[in-house]
Parts: sequence; structure tokens; C-alpha cells
Amino acid sequence: MNMVQDRPVIKGLVLNDIATKGGKYVANWRVYKPEIDLEKCVACGLCISYCPEAAINRRGDKKPEIDYRFCKGCGICAYECPQKAIEMKQEEA
Amino acid sequence: MPQDFDVIPGNKAIAHGVRLARVEVVPAYPITPQTTIIEYIADFVANGELDAEYVHTEGEHSCMAVAVGASMAGARTFTATCSQGLAYMHEVVAQATNYRTPIVMAIANRTLGWYWSLGPDYSDIMPEMNLGWLVNFVETNQECLDMTLMNYKIAEDYRVLLPTMISLDGFYLSYSQERVYLPNIEEVDEWLPPYKAPYPVDPTISKAWPSAGIPPQLHTTYRRLHEEIMEDAKKVIAEVDRSFGETFGRSYGGLVEKYRTDDADSVLVTMGSMTTAARRAVDKLRKEGEKIGLLKLRYMRPFPNEELIELAGQVNSIGVLDRAVLHGTGGGMAFQDVKAALYNTDIKVPVMNFVTGLGGEDIPIDDIYVMGKKVVKAAKSGKLEKEVNFVEHPMPGMVPPVSIESESCMHPGSDGCAGCGASIIVRTLLDTLGPNTVVINPPNCSGVNYGGVVKVPWILANFAAGAAYETGVFRALRKKGKADKVYVTSYAGDGGTADIGLQSISGAAERGESIIWLCYDNEAYMNTGIQRSGTTPLFSNTSSTPAGSVWKGKPTRRKNLLMIMAAHRIPYLATASLAYIPDLKRKIKKAAEVTRAGEGMAFLHVHQPCTTGWYFDPEKTVEIGRLAVQSGAFPVVEIDHGNFKISVKPKELKPVKEYLAPQRRFRHVSDEMVEIIQGHINNDWAALLKMEKEGKLDWY
Repeated sequence: MNMVQDRPVIKGLVLNDIATKGGKYVANWRVYKPEIDLEKCVACGLCISYCPEAAINRRGDKKPEIDYRFCKGCGICAYECPQKAIEMKQEEA
Repeated sequence: MPQDFDVIPGNKAIAHGVRLARVEVVPAYPITPQTTIIEYIADFVANGELDAEYVHTEGEHSCMAVAVGASMAGARTFTATCSQGLAYMHEVVAQATNYRTPIVMAIANRTLGWYWSLGPDYSDIMPEMNLGWLVNFVETNQECLDMTLMNYKIAEDYRVLLPTMISLDGFYLSYSQERVYLPNIEEVDEWLPPYKAPYPVDPTISKAWPSAGIPPQLHTTYRRLHEEIMEDAKKVIAEVDRSFGETFGRSYGGLVEKYRTDDADSVLVTMGSMTTAARRAVDKLRKEGEKIGLLKLRYMRPFPNEELIELAGQVNSIGVLDRAVLHGTGGGMAFQDVKAALYNTDIKVPVMNFVTGLGGEDIPIDDIYVMGKKVVKAAKSGKLEKEVNFVEHPMPGMVPPVSIESESCMHPGSDGCAGCGASIIVRTLLDTLGPNTVVINPPNCSGVNYGGVVKVPWILANFAAGAAYETGVFRALRKKGKADKVYVTSYAGDGGTADIGLQSISGAAERGESIIWLCYDNEAYMNTGIQRSGTTPLFSNTSSTPAGSVWKGKPTRRKNLLMIMAAHRIPYLATASLAYIPDLKRKIKKAAEVTRAGEGMAFLHVHQPCTTGWYFDPEKTVEIGRLAVQSGAFPVVEIDHGNFKISVKPKELKPVKEYLAPQRRFRHVSDEMVEIIQGHINNDWAALLKMEKEGKLDWY
């Protein structure tokens, strides 16, 4: 639903519109990349809660999936994973 | 003596001026792009290079008030601010004049919201222009240093005895490096002797002091006298400029500086850093045979009427470049002054106005060249094609933001630091409260980084008034029968809560506004570059409390925010940590329940380790948060309708050293200092256990 529709145009008024909000992809500056070993993962969801970027999502089987377009490589997910199922690997140059 | 030089930004040049002037009192409050001025001064004081009282104030209003008090008591006083900070000072800025306080205040110009920008224009200094201060604009970093010294000499002259603003363009001067010659301090000492207040507020010296008020019958007289003083100041400015030149080898021409005006037919009028580009544009036009010159307004107050009239009599057209608009007049700030200066004279010369560089947009040589062409054309034709010209540029193409379909109230892809803890808290807050939430955001790093990626209204509030904005939104919603349908919450930092925002929060709490106040506490002003706040812990190294040979980090303990708010008897308050998400979620839900029921304010104080500001590896954000709780450095507790409970109670507290060691902000801390911190924690923890045992707080 676009609630901005059908509203008057006010001269000089700049709007923030939820419909057009969004983020940016990381460029190529990430140094370490988290990789999840799904065999070890028990789908506890801790990495999802702690990801500062909201870049980890639950898949259909409840296990996490990293959206690398947004991951900045901070490493919190790997550090906090109770199963040690996430490893930080250096990006190839 | 030959002068040493250094390649430094304008803000450091100002700080060197303050050091060389042996300023005695420096009240400070951070705001971009001024902040590094007070940081450089803090470094000087921390390392014994300047012996000054440095006051870490809780907001600009207080900052200016400290300055006025200090100057009235006879100290040479300096402070710096800009933009919203200057606007927040406004009332005290006016007061400084009639108390005759020769304060020098640096304004690292930045646009005054609306619309917000970090870049410079003169919308910030414009409202302060007519309060009786001297107002000086500088073009170069050398001028920053020299004018800091000169302005003390001018301001402290008993013929003037007025406060002075020295206005340097943010970014263009504040952060840009230039070669700056540093006068020898012995020579400065001789040229600028210590300030002697004629009537200091010191009963051991003087039984008389400056008065605040006079009867209405005298107002007109004293306003006329002030205009006479402004005229006198013109003479003093010229004298001091000459004497500085004789002593240090540099002078600038006093009220104005002229460039290639001797045989000019037309002239551009500029101020500040744009002048450098304008000189090059004038050179280019001169090369093409156009007889154009330049007049740099160095002081806007007192305004150089005589100099303008003299030059106007010689030329056939004038073009005024303006970095601020006087809304409702159709034109710029300096434009109106220039026109007014010429009106009741015999001179009839067309005056054009170019409004340019607003919001910090660059004013390139090519643009000024085009302006110059127009002014030259007007000189030849004697006619104005267009009186006021807004110099506009098309917006360059931007990559549109990426919207990801998800149930979360936050898009991925923020501008935040890798490993940011604040975003974990934002997401937990918004995903718990849901989409019918209005977030009020006193300025902080989260506003900059997450305001654009959240899927709820995120309203930027003025720094000191977050809870008042919330009150307004809440009361309007309540009036319209929506109080139980929309949550109103803040997302405020520790500065916006414990320092500058506290009065507004206290008012809202006492009035019983059913709003949520969430403070994400990263224990310093991270948005302006890690200056100490009221919640910065003891001994923490910040950019305004640097550990040096004299200072050992922040010398005082943090405020107990929870107890300050508990004293208001609000129905629900809690501390929480990003390391304990289920506990944080439960507390947000509880806050939602209490406010939805209209019981009053819910206050959440959430600890947020900051990888950038505390200097630890980004993967340890949650780990450091956990250590803070487990060591008792940040206890996680709640007060539910007066009932006190510790939410996370380790069997035994970890030694605080384990929490401090991974953080570089505590690197200078000795074993003795750790013992002091450990002692405080032990006492506090015992007090919390006692409170929990007693259950209900007595005063509820």
C-alpha cells in the first residue's frame, strides 16, 4: 500500500517515504567473509539476532543464510556461534 | 625571531591561537565541524602545553553560559560551536553582549537546519549577526590563527570590551590543511598581555559589576551608545591589524581586504573561504581584459559602510556573493547590508546578488567567473538583468537504495560501522514494537546510519528536546484516539539522554507522558568523534579527555541514569545489554505494555559496546557487552512499578580487568586505577543486592 498516493503535493516539502527507503550493497572492501558450515549449524538463530546488518536470514529449514551483498565481515556471527559453525575466511584479492 | 610553521587544518590553527593567547577558561561541547578545535585544545591541556580550566559542558546553552561567567569573573575565555549548537546558545549569546564579556568564539560554519547539512553556509551565524558582537570572517588557516590573537586584542580593548565571533568555513577551512606560521609565544606574551577585566565579578577586587537591566527610558540611549562602540571598534580593528603586522609580519587590511580594485570598474563582494576561488576568477577575467576587482568583507559587524561607499563611488557595478538567504527578503545576507549602506548616498550603482554554496556546496572558480561576467556586463550596460541570482546545479545521479522484502523493520545495507552494536539494538527495538511505531531521534550516529534503512517514521529531533518532540507526537495521537495504537519511542544516545537531553526527559517523565525513552549508551559522543559524555566511565580515554602527561582520561565517574529516572517514580525502567537479547526483548515488551496502558514513561538504558569508539575488534561487540554485565561494570536490572530486581546476576562477578583489557580506551589505566574502578563496582554491586533484598524502592 502506498500511502503517499492521493496526497497533495506541497511545494518545497521533502518527504521520507518508507516505500523508497533501503540500504546499499557493500563494495569490495570486506576483508573477511563468514562461511557457515550447515552440518554443524543447529539453527539456534543467534547469528541472526546479532548480525548488525540484518544480513542473515532464515532459510526454509530454519538454518541461516548470509546475504553477502550486505555483509561487512565484522565477524560477530562467527565469534558468537555456540557451535563454532561459522568460519571467517580472508577474501581473495 | 623567525616563525616556525606547520601544515595544519584551520581548527588546529584556531587551537594554536588559543594556546598562544594563554586562554584561561575553555568551556566545550562537541559539534561537527567545530569539534576538533576543542579536541586540539584538550590535547594541549592534557599535555601541559596550555594551563587552562577546561569545562566539559552538557550542552551549548551551558557552554556559552560558562563562557559568560568565566569572562565576567575576569578570565580570558574561548569557546567554539556552529550551526544547531550556536542556535541553542542564542539566548546566552545575547546576554554576553551587555555583560561586556570579551569572549572569542570560533564558529566553524555549518548550515543551520532546515535542511540539515554538515557543510558550511552562513545560515548559522546569520541569526547571531545583530546581537552586538563583533563578527569576523576568515579566508585562510593562517588568518584563523592570526585573527584568534587579534580578536582578543580588539575585544579586550576597553574602548570595545565586546565578545567576538571568528567565523571559519566548516570543512573548507576547519579540516583542510594549509601551511600556517606559528608566532613565538614570548612575542605573543609581549603583544597580548593578560586580560584585566575592568569590573570582574570578584568581590576581593571590585564592588561593582555589569548590570543586566536598565529602565525602558534608557534602552534607546544605550543602544545608540552600542552603535558608537561599534564605530570605535572600527578604529581599534585597524590599529590592531597594523600593530600585528608590525610585530608578526602579517596584516589583512582591517574591516575589508581589497584585491585588484585600484582601477576596477566592477567589483565582487565576498566573505570567508570562497574569496580564494574568487581571486582566481578575478585573475581570469583580468586576463581577458575585464577591469574587475574584489572586496572581501572581513568583519560583518561592525559593517564596513565607509569602505563600501568609497569603492562603490569608483565602480559601475557590484556583485555580492552570499552563502545565506534572508528568507522573505528575496535575497542574501550581505546583499541587504550592501544595498542598505549605499541607499542614502548619491551613488547609484547596480548591485547584484549571487546566492551560492548553500548547504556546503562547493563554489568553484568557474561559477564565480560566470558571476563576474554578469557583473561586468551590468557595469557596461548600467542595467541589472536580474537582481538576485540563485546559483543552482543539477543533482548528480545517485544509486537508488536497495529495498529488500522482509518481515524485519530494518533494511540491510546501512552506513553503520562493521560490528556496530547500535544497529542490533535498533532492530530488536523495532522488530519488537512493530511497524506502528514513531521513532524520535535526537542527533546521534544511529540517526545518520540507520534513519535511512528503517521502515517506520524516524523523526530527527533537536538535540536538547527529544522527549518534548515525543510528547508532542504522543499528545496529538492521544487527542486523536490513537494512543493505544502507535508507540512513540526515542532512539537516543547517551549525550541526548544524560547530558543535553536530560531536562526534556525529566519534564516528560514528571508529566507522566506515556512514551518510551530508549537510550543506547556507547559512553561517549560517537557521532562527533568520541568525546566524553555524562555516562563515560572513569579514566576512559576520549578525544576530549585524552590521557596525557597531565590528564589521565576522564577524571569523574558516570552518572547513574537509572536512579535519576527512578527518582521520577516512572512506572517502568530498566537497564539492558545487547549481549542479552531475550532480556532486552522482554523489557521492550514491558515498556510497550506500560505505555500502551497510559501509565507513564518507560525508560530503557541499553549498553552498547562501540568497536570504533572503544577500540576493540569488531567481532567482540557482543563479548564486551557480556563482560560488562558479568563484571558488574554495567549491571542489568529493572524497576517495575518500584520493584527492584537484578535481571542478570552472575554467581560471582568477573574481575573488571577482564572487561577493561581488550579496550584501547583503557590502555593507559594502571593497576592502581583498575583497583579504584573495581572498588566502585564492588560498592555499587553491594548496593544493588541490598536494593533487591528490600524489593520495593521506598519512594515509590
